[in-house]
Amino acid sequence: MNGNIVIIGGGIAGMEAAKALLALGHTPILVEASRTLGGHVASWHKLFPDMSSAKNLTARLQSEISGANIFTDTRVISLNRLVDGYSLKLSNGIVINASALLFATGFNLFDAAKKEEYGYGVYDRVITNSDLEAWFSGKEDRRVPKVPESIGFVHCVGSRDLKACNGQCSKVCCATAIKQAIEMKERFPYAKVYCFYMDLRLFGKKYEDFYVNAQRDYGIQFIRGRVSEVGETFDGRLQLKAEDTLSGKPLKVCLDLLVLMSGIVRNRSIEELSDMAGLETDSDGFLRSADNEYAVIESNRPGIYYAGACTGPKTVPETVAEARSAALAIHSYLESL
Amino acid sequence: MTDFGFTLSRSSTLDLQKVDEGRFEQLCRLEKGAAVCIGCGSCSATCPAGSLSGMSVRKILLAVRRGQDIHRMLQCCMLCGKCTMVCPRGINTRHLILSICSIYD
Amino acid sequence: MTERFTTGFHPFVIPFLAGMVFVLGVCLIKAVIAVRELDGTDRKKWFLSLLHPNLIVKNTIDIILDCLIHVRLWKRNRLLGFMHSSIAFGWFMIILLGHLQVLMFFPERLGTFYYPIFFDYFIEGGQHTWISRIMDGFLILVLAGISLAIIKRFWSRIFGMRRTTRPTLYNLIGLYSLWAIFPLRFLAEQCARAGDLSVSLWWAYSIALCIFMVVLPFGRYLHIPAEMLLITFRNAGVGITRPHKGMARVQADSCPNCGVCIDACPMNADPANLKDSTVYLTRQFRRGNRERVREISDKCLLCGKCTSVCQVGVDGPRLRILARAARKYNIAPDFSDAGTATVVRAENKVLYFSGCMTALTPKTGRSVESILKKAGIDYEWMDRDGGLCCGRPLHTAGRLKEASQLVRRNEELIIGSGAAVLLVSCPICYREFKENYRLPGIRVVHYADYFCELMDKGLLCFEKSDACYVFHDPCELGRGCGIYETPRKLISKAAGIAEAPKNREESICCGGSLGSLSLDFSRREKITRASLENLYGSKADAIATACPLCLATFSRYSDRPVKDLAQIIDEQTEKI
Repeated sequence: MNGNIVIIGGGIAGMEAAKALLALGHTPILVEASRTLGGHVASWHKLFPDMSSAKNLTARLQSEISGANIFTDTRVISLNRLVDGYSLKLSNGIVINASALLFATGFNLFDAAKKEEYGYGVYDRVITNSDLEAWFSGKEDRRVPKVPESIGFVHCVGSRDLKACNGQCSKVCCATAIKQAIEMKERFPYAKVYCFYMDLRLFGKKYEDFYVNAQRDYGIQFIRGRVSEVGETFDGRLQLKAEDTLSGKPLKVCLDLLVLMSGIVRNRSIEELSDMAGLETDSDGFLRSADNEYAVIESNRPGIYYAGACTGPKTVPETVAEARSAALAIHSYLESL
Repeated sequence: MTDFGFTLSRSSTLDLQKVDEGRFEQLCRLEKGAAVCIGCGSCSATCPAGSLSGMSVRKILLAVRRGQDIHRMLQCCMLCGKCTMVCPRGINTRHLILSICSIYD
Repeated sequence: MTERFTTGFHPFVIPFLAGMVFVLGVCLIKAVIAVRELDGTDRKKWFLSLLHPNLIVKNTIDIILDCLIHVRLWKRNRLLGFMHSSIAFGWFMIILLGHLQVLMFFPERLGTFYYPIFFDYFIEGGQHTWISRIMDGFLILVLAGISLAIIKRFWSRIFGMRRTTRPTLYNLIGLYSLWAIFPLRFLAEQCARAGDLSVSLWWAYSIALCIFMVVLPFGRYLHIPAEMLLITFRNAGVGITRPHKGMARVQADSCPNCGVCIDACPMNADPANLKDSTVYLTRQFRRGNRERVREISDKCLLCGKCTSVCQVGVDGPRLRILARAARKYNIAPDFSDAGTATVVRAENKVLYFSGCMTALTPKTGRSVESILKKAGIDYEWMDRDGGLCCGRPLHTAGRLKEASQLVRRNEELIIGSGAAVLLVSCPICYREFKENYRLPGIRVVHYADYFCELMDKGLLCFEKSDACYVFHDPCELGRGCGIYETPRKLISKAAGIAEAPKNREESICCGGSLGSLSLDFSRREKITRASLENLYGSKADAIATACPLCLATFSRYSDRPVKDLAQIIDEQTEKI
């Protein structure tokens, strides 16, 4: 075979892998469905826990992979298994025979409108985490009031929720909520900011410091209780109902803005592709790794590797690390042929 | 009894070794979902009876677990099913409540 | 035509007579028990109905149409209809004409009862009368029916039945003896007519009759006499009021075990629930297996589809609710003085009751409100900030006393508001309001009917969209309250409309029903997906429904958008 490597997905996983493969002397082909590279991270404002700019990261990566063959606005429309590789047909008509494939197909954000009780798409003052990031980045959003007096963040929207068909933890939303709460508090120092959580899962390096800062330096209130429903008062403010489980009392609060932390769910647009490749799906709906301890980046098919959130929710550093190790694994695989 | 001028109050500590888990085990046999509650409070928050009477499925289940008396906590349940609808763990809370009603005397 | 024997007797009639005495005796005892078990008022109603001339006519017509001709079965499945009516009607006519023949030619033998049954043995040349010829025709008809029955027994799929019950031992004995009766009669008659008076075939014929009649009260064939009693009960207005007793017993006994409800039951999308259809409930009722009755009763979604397809009208949901009510709970809630946070005043206005579930589907409530505003209707929203439950969930859970406490409390609040119209959006509440509330002077109306009226009055101005919807009939709205047409009328005004393969009375439950007590969330997904598959079978690109529970359940798994009817109307109407 020709030693071609096709990376499907141009988010940070795909780009980082391309960069590593370039460094190893390969010229990978990167296929991205949308018009621009960078994936979800490109639409994010700042990253936790260091509050560095997300755009800087994606821009830097993009400049570092100019040596690769990059197709944006392009989808893989068919994929055939050959004896010693794979044949891919792209939506721009190009057919590629590849020895190795890297799935860096990422995730979808949960569609918050599916939880109708939270009022996304029903009430004027309900937005999602990604709407808020877009607003942080300067996009106009009429749902965000000029000077909100009280802001609520709802954790676990569409994650850890069988009713939303996703029982798993999305891993990054707790830290994202804290990050966004801090950013809002910086913009609106006089606003009351509440985070409604079931469990706070702050497992990463310095995340706990982040949490302490939010409590101590920003006065953000953490309320242990899952929001059950959101209504509207006569004067058009939101009224949120939860149980303050620590005091054991039902709680209600009026808000000017509610931010729903939409969870990470599988990328449904790749279902057909993964079927054509003969890849297995795990019980959580994401692609199934060869194993979940030692071989997360390996698939059940020879020559197909995974990087990033296509196998489950991942943080940025995890994604980057997986991308590098997948690049190395592909390199070794091609050497062994 | 001799009056010493003070009383010895019972310790308010919950001694897990002494908790009577019989009822909870009985409940789990009738409704397996009882074991998977994460105490998120959705059920209590959404409960139409909750704001008036303090009805809380979460608290009732916890009380059963801790072997405490629950008789007065179930006075207002209308079995309306909202708690079943919102439970993120998919617990059949209505069956849970009916099962609790049936195991106590 | 002459009598062959002056005695007019042969011992082979004894099995027949014994079977006859036995079956009549047992059925009479069963009927007396069932009548005694009725509530006093129901029993009185029933006795009076038997004297009422109109009801006598109605009972007779119903018995002929349902028990003999099987009109309902014809409508559902012609082959099955033909099979049943050929056997039942043919047999009945043979008995009737046989007696007529004896009455006409040998009236002194009428008291023997067995003469018409063994006519050709005792009478020489009997076959030449016109009555005999007609009877022979009916016998051929019955034999045709029996042949179909034999084919069905081994190859039920050609009758369009995917699943059917597995017969019990009693039913098998009954079945085989029933099959044997008519060919034996045919053969015995033919031999006798040819002059061969050997009695072995007559013995066999009589014994087959005896076996059939002896097992009849213990198997499915009990439905033949029970259904007749059921028809008189139903026409007298007797309802199921006691678990396992009275009307409940008669309904269970009337179940012919045909198994039509198995294919109809939405739970059977999951093979684990195959043995929980109504046919198994009635079987366990008869066997007195309380444990299984409990399991089957608790699991059911109470969607009512089994009743809508049932040939004898066994009310599966009601039987189950009362079985649930028979359970004892040591903790019982008490709502006799339950209060609400706010008391709403709505003098002569429309009072809107959205129900508990609609709080979780807020678009519906907001849409109803918006439509009312557009039409210029003066209204108050009774439970905007939450309120008491309508009582239906307690009711279906079998906690009847507590449910009626809630109902009484809500009645006070609604009457106290001074409203003229009670507008309901949730079909679960609507059914409870319709069936169990006494609200004198207040019109209770579901929004589908109400908005249709507003549309007809020209108070709503529609703009038709390009979308095409398929309407899912919610169980409580359709089968429960008979509202099928107004939602469709509204949708067709607002957008395109298509029909799913199974719709209206045969709509498939969404699987989210509160009716089931024991069905776990994880075990409902298959039911929901099966129901969605039916809706996908239409050419529509979106799904419409009119129940908050259907809406939430479908939204969870559907690939296509799901909307409440109110939302669609609101989106496609403008303020005049």
